[in-house]
Amino acid sequence: MTAELWVSILVGALALAAPLVIAGIGEGFVERAGRLNLGIEGMMILGALAGVFVAASAGPWVGLLAGAVVGVVLAAGMNALVYLLRANEIVVGVAVTMLGLGLSTYLFQLWIPAGTTNVSVDTLGRVDLGPLSEIPVLGPVLFAQSPVVYAAAVLLVLAWALARFTRFGIQVRAVGSDPISAALRGVRPRAVGERALLLGGTLAGLAGASIALGSIGAFTPGMTAGRGYIVLAIVIMGRMTPIGIALGALLFGFLQSFSLLAQSAAAQLPSEVYATLPYLVTLVVLVLTSRAELRRHSARLRTA
Amino acid sequence: MNRLRLRSLTSTALVVVVVAAVAMALIVFAGADPLVGLRGLVEGVSSSPYRVGELLVGAVPVAIVALTLVPALRAGVFSVGAEGQVVIGAIAATAATFGVRGLLGDAAPAPVYWLTGAVAGAAGGALFALLPAWLAARWHVNVILSTLLLNYVAAGVLGWSLRTWLASPENTATPQSDELPAAAALPDLIPGTRAHVGVLLVVVAVVVFEVWRRGAHAARVRIFAERPALARRLGATRTRTIVSTMLVSGVGAGVVGWMQVAGVNDRLLGSVSGGVGFSGLAVALLGGLLPVGIAVAAVFFSALAVGAVGMQSATGTVPSSIADVIKGVLLLGVAVVAATRPGLVAPAHAAPAPPPDDGALGADETAAATAASGEPLLAEASASEALDDHPASAASPAPVSTREVPR
Repeated sequence: MTAELWVSILVGALALAAPLVIAGIGEGFVERAGRLNLGIEGMMILGALAGVFVAASAGPWVGLLAGAVVGVVLAAGMNALVYLLRANEIVVGVAVTMLGLGLSTYLFQLWIPAGTTNVSVDTLGRVDLGPLSEIPVLGPVLFAQSPVVYAAAVLLVLAWALARFTRFGIQVRAVGSDPISAALRGVRPRAVGERALLLGGTLAGLAGASIALGSIGAFTPGMTAGRGYIVLAIVIMGRMTPIGIALGALLFGFLQSFSLLAQSAAAQLPSEVYATLPYLVTLVVLVLTSRAELRRHSARLRTA
Repeated sequence: MNRLRLRSLTSTALVVVVVAAVAMALIVFAGADPLVGLRGLVEGVSSSPYRVGELLVGAVPVAIVALTLVPALRAGVFSVGAEGQVVIGAIAATAATFGVRGLLGDAAPAPVYWLTGAVAGAAGGALFALLPAWLAARWHVNVILSTLLLNYVAAGVLGWSLRTWLASPENTATPQSDELPAAAALPDLIPGTRAHVGVLLVVVAVVVFEVWRRGAHAARVRIFAERPALARRLGATRTRTIVSTMLVSGVGAGVVGWMQVAGVNDRLLGSVSGGVGFSGLAVALLGGLLPVGIAVAAVFFSALAVGAVGMQSATGTVPSSIADVIKGVLLLGVAVVAATRPGLVAPAHAAPAPPPDDGALGADETAAATAASGEPLLAEASASEALDDHPASAASPAPVSTREVPR
């Protein structure tokens, strides 16, 4: 394990964490509002397809926008089913994921029939910060990343401010923690829940598009590979706070980058161990968070 | 009740119309004639005995997984881990089968193989289901997420097993195990097809299910989903309910794993689960958590998958992944129909209900607290009425359905 390898692992960690952060911020609001979006995976994969499809003719930035639009449309659909038709949120979420995975494959196969070569589009490239990127270790890791990474960082700050200082942020927390009191004080749980999911859907679609356009520049069926579910785990691990979500995403991104790069360099362990490690560690952290949360609660119950 | 039934029927009819319209739109979008597509679909399913066999081979595992998932879903334990449990069951069954051959040599009789295979598969699936169940019971770890993550772990174990201790000594293109001894393979049910006698296990599953449904355990599970405090007084604690229902689903999925190995492929392949776990969940919901519905839904799912291949070759332009799109739309429809039938799916406790971080107690904790202090559950009931249009509360206590109280 050389120093260069560790640097490239760190570079990859940030790049892999960024889409998780973006989708995680959205899901953080959704869960704070007391809802749950199990359709993230479906929104991400459809966002990725839309992103690449649009980017093929209009460039990667418009592609990102297309991904966000797809996400918001799906979220609006989920809202309609859950609130107007009173469908079960969990079942709808699972269905949206199934639909997203199926529809993205179907449309992709229509767009690029089997046997023809896949379309590859321009990626977002890398931001060049000039002399800063020359700094050893820190340069390549922090200052020569894809724009997605910086966008994720900016979104993190925005999300923190939104949750903390705006009416919407406070309403979301009020509705999520005590919908009855919130309603009595004139906050409409339904309207707030709808807006939270719209935000979550937008960011999930955007995250999907950024996976495809960040460094790959092409769509392959199933390319999100369960990252939508990882987002859900990260949000619970991070206790729905922006910092927690970012840390969770970085942990998963690091493990995934490590498993991708380290298995070629350090082959003492079977490759499956590396491939499974991110999911296993996520599970362990999830267990630890749940345990801590439970203890906090029982402690409060005792004192109450 | 009548108006409710009417509403339910109308929405079911609407869902069927919408699904058909979506399917047609998809075919037209692909530049094909919907009628040609439909004919391809029907012919794809029925044109030869082999295709009918494929229909059965596809439907039965999904049906068994769905049937054994029902107790967990009824209890509001939303397990999506059948996929991983199938995989672990298949690995255990394969290992046990080779173990028997090692012990008894080639002379081992077929029933011994079948029994050890089935038991090992069931044990493997059950153990792998026990882990998330225990985590949920002990530390309230969200079942949806733990089972999802464990599916990836199972896939890793499968990949590793096929590369190392279960790998075939022959040089094969895809990782696979050695072929099972001939006696261990399940005989064909219909000659010339892949349908094997294991298919008949679905009958066993239905019978067991019907017995369970009329028993005390089923009643407790349903009460647990709607009134956890009451269920506790009836002996269904949270731990007991979660562990018992998850064990059942693990056993079912594990047996399916054995069936896929011993019946369909005669060897362990990397694709052994083939999405059976997720389809099983969808079919359980689609079938309204009842055996007849599940059977119909499973056959329908399988027919879609088998027929879509026929559609692809008939039209030339419609990719067979159209089946997955239709499945997704169907499941969306199910969610809508289920909303008109209270008590059908009661995931009151399935939602992770992330404990709010600023003071207020979640519904779960409130219920537990009031149960502990012996106070009635009035607060919970009135809360859900007051906030009728918030999904978190809409999901919680639905009126106790009298429709299926065991007679």
